[in-house]
Amino acid sequence: MAEPILQVTGLVKHYPLTTGILFKKQVGAVKAVDGVDFHLDRGETLGIVGESGCGKSTVAKMLVNLERPTAGEIRYKGEDITRLSGKALKSVRRNIQMVFQDPYTSLNPRMTVGDIIGEAYDIHPEVAPKGDRRARVQQLLDVVGLNPEYINRYPHQFSGGQRQRIGIARGLALRPEIIVADEPVSALDVSVQAQVINLMARLQDEFDLSYIFIAHDLSIVRHISDRVGVMYLGRIVETGRDAEIYDHPTHPYTQALLSAVPVPDPEAREHRERIILAGDVPSPTNIPSGCRFRTRCWKARERCALEVPALAVPAEFRSVSGPAAHDSACHFAEEKQVVPPETDDGAGHGSGPG
Amino acid sequence: MLLEVRDLHVEFHTRDGVARAVNGVSYGVDAGETLAVLGESGSGKSVTAQTVMGILDVPPGRITSGEILFEGRDLLKLKEEERRKVRGAEMAMIFQDALSSLNPVLTVGDQLGEMFTVHRGMSRKDARAKAVELMDRVRIPAAKERVRQYPHQFSGGMRQRIMIAMAMALEPKLIIADEPTTALDVTVQAQVMDLLAELQRELHMGLILITHDLGVVADVADRIAVMYAGRIVETAPVHDIYKNPAHPYTRGLLESIPRLDQKGQELYAIKGLPPNLTRIPPGCAFHPRCPMAQDVCATDVPPLYDVTESDAERGSACHFWRECLHG
Repeated sequence: MAEPILQVTGLVKHYPLTTGILFKKQVGAVKAVDGVDFHLDRGETLGIVGESGCGKSTVAKMLVNLERPTAGEIRYKGEDITRLSGKALKSVRRNIQMVFQDPYTSLNPRMTVGDIIGEAYDIHPEVAPKGDRRARVQQLLDVVGLNPEYINRYPHQFSGGQRQRIGIARGLALRPEIIVADEPVSALDVSVQAQVINLMARLQDEFDLSYIFIAHDLSIVRHISDRVGVMYLGRIVETGRDAEIYDHPTHPYTQALLSAVPVPDPEAREHRERIILAGDVPSPTNIPSGCRFRTRCWKARERCALEVPALAVPAEFRSVSGPAAHDSACHFAEEKQVVPPETDDGAGHGSGPG
Repeated sequence: MLLEVRDLHVEFHTRDGVARAVNGVSYGVDAGETLAVLGESGSGKSVTAQTVMGILDVPPGRITSGEILFEGRDLLKLKEEERRKVRGAEMAMIFQDALSSLNPVLTVGDQLGEMFTVHRGMSRKDARAKAVELMDRVRIPAAKERVRQYPHQFSGGMRQRIMIAMAMALEPKLIIADEPTTALDVTVQAQVMDLLAELQRELHMGLILITHDLGVVADVADRIAVMYAGRIVETAPVHDIYKNPAHPYTRGLLESIPRLDQKGQELYAIKGLPPNLTRIPPGCAFHPRCPMAQDVCATDVPPLYDVTESDAERGSACHFWRECLHG
């Protein structure tokens, strides 16, 4: 298999907590991201799901170099981008672009759409010569389904869905290879979400893009992703192909997460088993010993407090080659179907190319 | 019927003209029943609720016509003094954003206790005891100690529990919950919805649940009212609407949910955008986005047709509801 376009190993981001004004002393750290590994292949979509505070947005920021990791590597085509600076960093940044969650605050209200999208060319003039920029921007507007004549309008003249299209056009301006999308549709209305998801899927084919798609909406992530990673408190606890995660989850957190998602089918509410987790997510300043999920886990035993479970195929599934044999960081991983099989014709999709 | 809203019209005067937020909404809730009001932003679902609750900002808002009957009394005809006695004691509201709905400089105990000192004339000490009892009831651990804490010291889920406790304090007959779990994570959302459903059962309250989440609706509602551009476009028992929608907008919403068997394919998307409320399209407000629209839709406003089948009472504001239902 070809080399992945992005390879992340041991990624860590700790924000120090200090006391004192003159003589700062570190008293602890917010462990926002605490050892994350994954890879992204060319042309593929990796979905990252998790609840607020699990570190998924911090991962996104590190990928586009808005945050410097405390430790770990991010290899883009084999080169560790966390150590780059100056010119080399600039050229890598061009190839990894971001689409933000909130289309209301991520566009400068005092700039026209043309300036917002075209600003990228000021920083990377090699992509588009000066006289060519306006035409390029108009072309991009057309690509994302906006009227090219809107180039002189301001963000407030657009609806939320249209603004997100502007954000996507800006992300595409430099012809990147990777787009990191952090909750790109969660601020949008249901009827508009589908439009933006379709647009992103179309652009992926058209421009041969690789996506990191971060979201908390599990059904949307499943729709767009080839592989999914589930994050909890700064770590990936389970990862695999989408059907492996959704139909054969083996980590208790994934199972609880999937079972908690309200299913838009009133018939299902009687015969659905819901796993309701106790309590809240622990503070990232004070991560539990051993398995970080153990404080809310119904399976937790002594071993969970002592040993950190590794993200690997659990021993009991290593010999079998089925959809349950995927990476899961749990000492007591077992298969459990939590989402009832949806439709008859959906069953064939369950096995997938696992 | 516990609450009956009849032909309510609300408008806002804005710089861009008159925004007609609610254009003839009628719905009802019985004791012990859960009505889900489903709609996107700008559909008028929250404005209707605020009007029922009597917390609409007037001006810029203006109630131009309609009735809100609560146990037979028209709330819109009550004096503000009487209205205040209804609010909190007879009906209460839970908001989306618990952090901004709670007072940051008062302890949660003071805020919960206020319900009893103001409405029931209790002493501060008794009110404090009641506050602890309420916090226990919504399963906040260590209620005795935490009653002295401030809202920022609680997590999002716990704050929403406090909001629920406050709404339940005087055991009202009706609760209006406006997107109560939208700001919460899914695992916490499940805890909070469970709690709400349990308390509703116990106290036999009517519940109006305002949401845009088709999943939450399917989980808890008895009946649904779907709103679009300030009108109810479809109303039906929850099972019927998911199985067989009678309005193209409802159908579009249901079809735009990603489904397993459609992976890799294009999602169904309702074309276009929700209308600007200062310029609602003539005829059926949905017609510019509707795949079934014909000439009549651009000129005639469809009434809420009675589309009752067998014994399930249903309504649809579509000229072509037959085609939608059976097509």
